Amino acid sequence: MIKVKQLDYSYHIGKKGNQTSIPVIKKVSFEVKKGEIVAIVGRSGSGKSTLLNLLSGYISPDSGTIEIFEQNTDGYTEKEWAKFRLDHFGFIFQSYELIPSLTAFENIELPLILKGMKRGERQQSVEAMLKRIGLDQHGFHYPNELSGGQQQRVSIGRALITNPTIILADEPTGSLDSETEQGILDLLQELNEKEGITFLMITHDMEVAKVADRTLALHDGEMEERGVYYETK
Amino acid sequence: MFIMKLNDQFQMVKKNMKKNKLRVFMTVLATTMGCAFLIVLASIGFGLQGSIMEQMTEYQSITEIRVHGKDIDGEFHPLTKEDVESINTIEDVTGVVTQDYVPGVVVTNLNEFEGYSQMLLRNLDSAETTNFSLSEGRYPEKTNEIIVGYDFKETLYEPIGDNELEEGETGNNFSGDLLNETILVQIKDYESESILYEKEFVIVGIGKESARDWLNDGSIYANIDLKEEIFTVMDEPKERLEIYDNVSVHVMDIQQNERVTKELKEMNFAVYSITEEIDRLNIFFAAFKAGLIFVGAVAVIIASIGIFNTMTMAVTERTHEIGVMKALGANPLNIRQMFLMESAFIGVIGSFFGVLISYIVSFAANIIIPLILESVTESTEIDIVFSAIPIELVLIAVAISVGVAMLSGFRPAAKATSINVLTALRREA
Repeated sequence: MIKVKQLDYSYHIGKKGNQTSIPVIKKVSFEVKKGEIVAIVGRSGSGKSTLLNLLSGYISPDSGTIEIFEQNTDGYTEKEWAKFRLDHFGFIFQSYELIPSLTAFENIELPLILKGMKRGERQQSVEAMLKRIGLDQHGFHYPNELSGGQQQRVSIGRALITNPTIILADEPTGSLDSETEQGILDLLQELNEKEGITFLMITHDMEVAKVADRTLALHDGEMEERGVYYETK
Repeated sequence: MFIMKLNDQFQMVKKNMKKNKLRVFMTVLATTMGCAFLIVLASIGFGLQGSIMEQMTEYQSITEIRVHGKDIDGEFHPLTKEDVESINTIEDVTGVVTQDYVPGVVVTNLNEFEGYSQMLLRNLDSAETTNFSLSEGRYPEKTNEIIVGYDFKETLYEPIGDNELEEGETGNNFSGDLLNETILVQIKDYESESILYEKEFVIVGIGKESARDWLNDGSIYANIDLKEEIFTVMDEPKERLEIYDNVSVHVMDIQQNERVTKELKEMNFAVYSITEEIDRLNIFFAAFKAGLIFVGAVAVIIASIGIFNTMTMAVTERTHEIGVMKALGANPLNIRQMFLMESAFIGVIGSFFGVLISYIVSFAANIIIPLILESVTESTEIDIVFSAIPIELVLIAVAISVGVAMLSGFRPAAKATSINVLTALRREA
């Protein structure tokens, strides 16, 4: 489903003509299969977030290729990436990234609006999603009226509403207490088992990584024992 | 599908505008004032142009061309029958009216009523060919039939006592129906006052009332065929029978007027047409109005600085929101559209109120300014429209206001589109 080959990415610091390159991702290669939960672990500064940003199309690699559904994403324009994300990806962020001026209902509805779906169809889908994530009584609440766990559930609802094939999660439980964290992890596992959604998540928490089928470790931008995965189950 | 529905974009824009009501209100207010200033300023040009045009066309119809004579080898010659015939052959000429003033004092007698009038000899075939409309009756068919002007009745007075009326003296007015009455017309010599010509006429038609209050028509119109008979008796020079005092050419509209005027000039006729005056006036007022619109547009441009500021603030405030939308997969085009839509809304709402206010100001100005002028100049009535707002001025002002508003939103919209997702979400690369 996702094939990453020899991916390189460097930061460029300094003014033009006197720039210094700091390599962040170095010759990273790996694959993610359909229906898998894959965790990318590593310490702060190891390059996990950069790798996820590359896979999301927010930044472009210096070299190497990213193939998703056997499509080479090299050379995709901003607009093509946007369409690709909307069609195939769901995103879960550590800090939820909900829009404060929109209610839970409207936040979940947002990707459908961006897709151009009709109002009536959206209404039904969002109501069903609120039920599915256990927030059917909180649709009209604004993010600041919800707990951290509830906000992350809204974020998950927003990621799932377009029926994506892959969910990219950046520290999905990073801002939650351990009890809420377990609830969210259970929900992700349930979605994976029941609906076969593929998860690629980055985390520094080995407890979170335990729910993954496979774990890839990043260390200073390099994938440790390249291509060798740590079986966690 | 990858394009947001227009209605959804509209709803989002509406929501965003509601979030910053005061700021949006102040920006709309600035646009309103700019737009209203532009319209009111330019309306002075339109108003004065209309007033001057109206005054000009009060004296001459736009379907009439006056021909005074012909220029032959640098010499001026009066118009002859041949000239009139050649004018009649010009395309679009619906009629040529020749008119001669009967010399002498014209006295009219109807029973015991008597009056002084002016007698004109002209062709009186029909309204279409002579531009002479009747309020009642018909056009003369015989030489003893005449038409009288609408106000002719007012020239007839009942003599006081046994003495005949002196010119300018008044008695009781005639109040009966003039149609089909027989009047005795006497033409007297200016100096000796001896009666040179006398004939009874039947009034078969009465001219149409003039649209202008101050214009009274008390003349009598007899058929041109009487010219030879009257002029011979009056001992007028024989050459006068071959020429005309006054010739007017009639057409259907202003376009035909322009074309026929041009052709008459090419034929060396000395022509006076109102279209030439109107052309000159139009050129002057076009420049005048353009100048006023330009000055007014400066006000709109100043207002646009406010819109630019508001939109830039809106983009800055919504950086996170835009980042989230882009991260999820928003079409960059939709983001640009939403910001352009917001600035266009400010322009549209501002223009709407601007137009409304301009009409109120214009209406008030047309009432108040004449009152002030009347009291200052001690005039009885000043009938001038100072401010007029035609639909084209509204369209120009709205186009400028909305256009400038959209232009001011263009850069902030481009800025919104180019927002970096990672910066907006405060994520490390």
